[in-house]
Amino acid sequence: MVAMKGENCVSIAADRRFGIQAQTIATDFQKIFQMGPHLYVGLPGLATDTQTVMEKLRFRKNLYELKENRMMSPKVFSAMLSNMLYEKRFGPFFVEPVVAGLDPKTHEPFICNMDLIGCINLPNDFVVGGTASAQLYGMCEALWEPNLGPDDLFETTSQALLNAFDRDAISGWGATVYIIEKDKVTIRNLKTRMD
Amino acid sequence: MSTERYSFSLTTFSPSGKLVQIEYALAAVAAGAPSVGIKASNGVVIATENKHKSILYDEHSVHKVEMITKHIGMIYSGMGPDYRLLVKQARKMAQQYYLVYQEPIPTVQLVQRVAAVMQEYTQSGGVRPFGVSLLICGWDNDRPYLFQCDPSGRISLGRQPPWARITLTGRRFWKRDLELDDAVHTAILTLKKVLRGK
Amino acid sequence: MSSVLCPEIPASGFSFENCRRNTLLETKGFAVPKATKTGTTIVGITYKDGVILGADTRATEDTTVADKNCEKIHYLAPNMYCCGAGTAADTEMTTQMISSQLELHKLYTNRVCRVATANQMLKQYLFRYQGYIGAALILGGVDVDGPHLYQIYPHGSSDQLPYVTMGSGSLAAMAVFEAGWKRDLEEEDGIKLVRDAIAAGVFNDLGSGSNIDVCIIRKGSTDL
Repeated sequence: MVAMKGENCVSIAADRRFGIQAQTIATDFQKIFQMGPHLYVGLPGLATDTQTVMEKLRFRKNLYELKENRMMSPKVFSAMLSNMLYEKRFGPFFVEPVVAGLDPKTHEPFICNMDLIGCINLPNDFVVGGTASAQLYGMCEALWEPNLGPDDLFETTSQALLNAFDRDAISGWGATVYIIEKDKVTIRNLKTRMD
Repeated sequence: MSTERYSFSLTTFSPSGKLVQIEYALAAVAAGAPSVGIKASNGVVIATENKHKSILYDEHSVHKVEMITKHIGMIYSGMGPDYRLLVKQARKMAQQYYLVYQEPIPTVQLVQRVAAVMQEYTQSGGVRPFGVSLLICGWDNDRPYLFQCDPSGRISLGRQPPWARITLTGRRFWKRDLELDDAVHTAILTLKKVLRGK
Repeated sequence: MSSVLCPEIPASGFSFENCRRNTLLETKGFAVPKATKTGTTIVGITYKDGVILGADTRATEDTTVADKNCEKIHYLAPNMYCCGAGTAADTEMTTQMISSQLELHKLYTNRVCRVATANQMLKQYLFRYQGYIGAALILGGVDVDGPHLYQIYPHGSSDQLPYVTMGSGSLAAMAVFEAGWKRDLEEEDGIKLVRDAIAAGVFNDLGSGSNIDVCIIRKGSTDL
């Protein structure tokens, strides 16, 4: 799972494998969820928690938007998620969330990740999460550069993700890349090694 | 009296569809000191009479205008002790909102939450409604806001007339597009007029 | 106010509903993800007119650097700041919560909060959780009684000292303080001493690294 900042755009990408330890069960598992027109969250970790946390988040976000009659910004969304995870400090959900999006008003790019108990990390280049995170750190450090356009950002994100999970035995089996821009979101499914 | 037969419990409507306890609560508000809130183009003023029952009161120990957060203020007409409880609740709700969303609570949200508490006290067993009307003012998105909150839990957004329980008198002084300084002046003038008429 | 009629405000406090499931998963061999630690050098000294706090900016997840530029000096009140070492989420959330309580306290009392009040709130909170909230803190601030500096351990004990260090780089930093600290230091010398102490932590401790943050609290003003 990786998210990157570009020039007026952000990307978020993940693999599609769902397995029990070394045994692969499915290769079309969704780990990235749309939470708003410009807001995506990736929840790598224990599959049951990925789905539970996503549903809890969607519930809270929808309630916020109905109550306040305005869109939830990625910053507020992350704060809410962090708060939700920290509530379970002593019995956490096993997910390491990655949030990527554009502010609904200013369209400013936003990315962040957090650990399983909600400690937010807000860098201005890229964030990673999940089992291949060590490999991803290496790839991103080498490939990322400031002010990437949407096309370059897609290429950088895909290359970083693909090469990282080829070095991780329990990641891979296809990948999905989301490029989030002000007026459109591009979703591409990548063909990868299926082993 | 026939109305008293239906005032033993708050959860009972009178045959005419009134909750008389709420009307009594409004009477308690009317018996209190007048307060006024005026929204100007570049700010909002809330003011109230600062007169004490006895000259033996230390005037610094009486707090009528209270801060809820850095950007929200509150004032009341009615019963002081009831007001204190609502101020405490409002502050806690504002802090809780901040802890969850890391963003200051919008004034509308705070007002709605305070109103929900006030409404709850018109429907629960063993309690009475609050004997206060609140004026809550705040700044959001570079705009001033002014709200009134009744014992029934009703919310009204201040726009045209200056909000107070003395609307009629106030309206005479009020003009469109008031500046903050003029608004302060108008507030004082209005209170003066009302107090003299008392 | 959480009741049936007014349920907007959710129940406060921690939830333990996943605990049993998680222990079971662990015994079945599930690799539990690690929480981010600060692995830190944090220091604080008192000088002539106030308090200086310092921290490095590295956050680690096991041996991976999770955050190269994280803020470990947390805001508590306008006259008080707090450095945090230990579990990153714990230090962050604990200071946020106490900051919120101090704000309420300030509104109730109409006074500037004392550092001793913050210290008491923090230690009572940490003691309640018997060390399970892994937050080691350095609390510094200036109030009506002058500058104060406290160190608070995760189990809820605290010391009031003229110069303190905490975190994995605390030994290296303390060595610098023991050699260089004097009573009534000038502000400039104080900042230099704090910087040297953190640098000692950064170079001698692998858990500390990256940049150095310094926060100066004087009577009536604060510089971060």
